[in-house]
Amino acid sequence: MVEPRVVPPSPTERHPEPSASMFETRKLTRFFGGVCAVNDINLTIGEGEIVGLIGPNGAGKTTVFNLITGFIRPSSGLVMLNGENLVGKKPHAIAGRGIARTFQIAKSFPQFTVIQNMAAAGHLYGGAGFWEGIFRTSPYRSKERSIFDHSMKTLGFVGLEPWKEAVAGTLPHAHQKLLGVAMALATAPKLLLLDEPLEGMSAEEVDRTLEIIAGIRARGTTVLLIEHNMRAVMKICDRIVVINFGQEIARGTPEEVRQNEEVVKAYLGAAEYAG
Amino acid sequence: MDSGRSRRIGKGALLLLVCLLPIAMRGNDYFLHVYIVCAINIILASSLRAMATTGQMSIGQAGFMAIGAYTSAILAAKCGIPVYLSMLGGGCAATVLAALIGFPLSRIRTIYFVMVTMFLGEIIRLVVFEASSLTGGSTGLMGIPRPEAFSFFGLLQIDFSNKLHFCYLVLLLLLIILLVLYNIHRSHAGTAFAAIGQEESLSSSVGINVARSKVLIFSVACFFTGLAGSLYAHYMTVLNPDAFGTFTSLYILIYVVVGGRSFFGPIAGAILLTLIPEFFAALKEYQPYVFVLVLFLIVFLLPGGLVDLPRRIRESVRKAPLEEAR
Repeated sequence: MVEPRVVPPSPTERHPEPSASMFETRKLTRFFGGVCAVNDINLTIGEGEIVGLIGPNGAGKTTVFNLITGFIRPSSGLVMLNGENLVGKKPHAIAGRGIARTFQIAKSFPQFTVIQNMAAAGHLYGGAGFWEGIFRTSPYRSKERSIFDHSMKTLGFVGLEPWKEAVAGTLPHAHQKLLGVAMALATAPKLLLLDEPLEGMSAEEVDRTLEIIAGIRARGTTVLLIEHNMRAVMKICDRIVVINFGQEIARGTPEEVRQNEEVVKAYLGAAEYAG
Repeated sequence: MDSGRSRRIGKGALLLLVCLLPIAMRGNDYFLHVYIVCAINIILASSLRAMATTGQMSIGQAGFMAIGAYTSAILAAKCGIPVYLSMLGGGCAATVLAALIGFPLSRIRTIYFVMVTMFLGEIIRLVVFEASSLTGGSTGLMGIPRPEAFSFFGLLQIDFSNKLHFCYLVLLLLLIILLVLYNIHRSHAGTAFAAIGQEESLSSSVGINVARSKVLIFSVACFFTGLAGSLYAHYMTVLNPDAFGTFTSLYILIYVVVGGRSFFGPIAGAILLTLIPEFFAALKEYQPYVFVLVLFLIVFLLPGGLVDLPRRIRESVRKAPLEEAR
């Protein structure tokens, strides 16, 4: 077993609630027909935190992500980033405000090479316009160069630089997942939502990715993480919010959550169903 | 000499040949006619490809061509507006319609988009057919002027009733349009358009405004399609709504599919499929069958389109010695 190189924050560093929140959801609720998929979820995330969002399958975690990023409109509630309400905005506008996401099923532009994928994702970073692109003005070309440099730096950060000419659709699974993270980072986000970034990865790949996530925080990006790998979640998160059937059942530091009876029951219940 | 440089010289020589061909064949009216039709078809196919990269595969482009053609023809023939301006007006009319219907169209995808655009094209044709006081209806619109003659500082007398001169007008517009489309293709926006065509939700999650991008490229494509229509109107000098039916739209789509989806694909497809019926004059009344045959051959033997042919040949040549060694 490879010993993970990620250094967990010491218990004294772990604060139960952030003093100043950069992001929060207030009473976030979504009905699908008569079913309440997400019920009254209040998340509060402080600048530079890594917060875990966990819960059994079907608990509504990905729906929370879709509500935050504008892919689904909430039935009620608010999504606040630095004091601005984002509810009702389109996904691209929310990305423009500084919230990036990855997808549970690794998504890329499959016919593009890795570097083309990054260029497409670097759209927000460079701000290269349509009309100046037709005339290839010199400010346009310098923007294009800066997008390329930024893309290469981000690829280097996640370790995909050697794969830059590979066609994205042919990449191994773990690399596709990392490409998704790199593309989200290419938008230069303030808050990054990772939807099961470790799913389907080998032990070494998990450790690598955890290092990258720690590195993302070190670069000043706040992270909200959905993950089923409990060992990894407990190791890397400052705080954890547990939901089940769309409702919050527990929150706190990893130690607190681990000992929470409700949480144990929810996971055991899920295990019974699975068994 | 490195291969990049020799390839550039090869491309330059090809371009020069294409530019000089009409002069070399100036006595041959039939050749010039085919050349002009070819150029117009290339504009139509390349424009369709540009919008198809975002997943908007239309079979109603003949409708936008009709709007360009009739707007320009009516402005020039009935309102006496200079042909150069009326042609611009034809392109703009097609763009305005595209921008208006672009937003609702941007929300529908795949086969639904195809169906809606097909009916749209047919509606436009029927409107042209019914508005006979303005468009001449089924009897056609006649007496459309050629662009006005002018002279370059008294040195060069340009007269567009001369087919050779008209040929160069078409070529000039073709090259400008292809340059614009090529710059879009390799620009950042072009990458975003192709991204939308592959993964719409991922595109929006990285900040690409999907609806705006789709409407933008749809409008640009329809501007050039309208312009191609007005070129057609002032070349033929006679218009009939039958020229803008669904079959015309389908042919434009077939040029793209046969040629391939890369930038040069529609150019190759439009040239080949314009020339085939001309070379085999006896086949002209069977044109739809010939097109379907070519389409089948391409889809089964060369799914990447005509532009994929050099790569396939190179690969088979590289493979052959290995197989012999075995």
